[in-house]
Amino acid sequence: MDERSVWEKIADQLRSRSMWMLHYCTGCGAVELPPSMTSRFDMERLGMGPMATPRQADILLITGYLSVKTLRRVIYTYEKMADPKYVIGFGSCTINGGIYFDSYSTINRLDYYLPVDLYIAGCMPRPEAILNAFNTLMEMIRKGEANGWKRYKENYEWYKQNQLRSLGEVIVHDEFHE
Amino acid sequence: MTNSMNNNVAEILEKAKKLFDVRVEDIAERQHKLIAENDKTIPLLAFLKESGYSHLSILTCIDWIEEKRFELVYILFNWSNGVTLLVSTFIDRDKPVFYTVKDMWPTAEYYERDVHEFFGVEFEGNERCRLPLFLELWNDLPPLRKDFDPLKFSKEHFPDREYEKDAIHEAKIIRADLEDTRGDING
Repeated sequence: MDERSVWEKIADQLRSRSMWMLHYCTGCGAVELPPSMTSRFDMERLGMGPMATPRQADILLITGYLSVKTLRRVIYTYEKMADPKYVIGFGSCTINGGIYFDSYSTINRLDYYLPVDLYIAGCMPRPEAILNAFNTLMEMIRKGEANGWKRYKENYEWYKQNQLRSLGEVIVHDEFHE
Repeated sequence: MTNSMNNNVAEILEKAKKLFDVRVEDIAERQHKLIAENDKTIPLLAFLKESGYSHLSILTCIDWIEEKRFELVYILFNWSNGVTLLVSTFIDRDKPVFYTVKDMWPTAEYYERDVHEFFGVEFEGNERCRLPLFLELWNDLPPLRKDFDPLKFSKEHFPDREYEKDAIHEAKIIRADLEDTRGDING
């Protein structure tokens, strides 16, 4: 994309070795994360762990279908995460809608609303595929290819328009917050 | 199930038939459906609640579009003998208004909001029934009505991914039926 300074290259090496993923489990793909985290596949040996709050997290996992109601909250969450931040889309629902292609409440493609660095194909992807994807993402970070957060900043107007087209309004109006 | 319980169910069904003029259909050994008139449904529900069928499992709605009516189904459960009763009533599809049961079962408020959101049925007495529950900023037909077209809505609101590739052609290349002339498949 653009020229990286030496310090950025060093920072990317470090970033790729400690990744905190946000525990915001949307859709059914989240069931693949416990086996990835626990003893058999042991995600933490790659330097990855769960993190509860968006402000301290690096990766946002969109695990499976994303309903319109959830998308509003996901956009909030994504915008609260600190740079650099990465998005991984799980499964066919985030790629092209999957079995929810004609649903009145589920979006059809994720990269129209948020910049996706990496997709994992499958419904659902096995833990092996997830670990493979995380390895690939780390490799991409080291090479400076995972720059979805830059794309989001540069094309903010485009993303915002797409969000507004599908959601009407991104602001959350609900009785529990007002 | 003991005999006395069987008798108990039969007794209550008999009573309901006599008092509220309902039609009873047996679905299974412990499941019966009671079809009631509009104006007798609420007294019938109150009677059944008094008789031990105190748990409202769900209130839901069925769209019979060809008959131009909605069927409201209240599913009641008795915890002491495990019997489920389905109380159903039919309302006009063009003017879908019914009465609330939220004073009998506080949870019904949310079921009513759900039915209002997905079918457009109004519940008199439930003033919170118009608040959005799942569908925020919805401005179309209620989505579970049979005349709502979800595919059309999805096409209008949620853009699809466009594929330039011809999947069948690629499958033939993979199977070695054709020679690859269009470059890398993964490219």
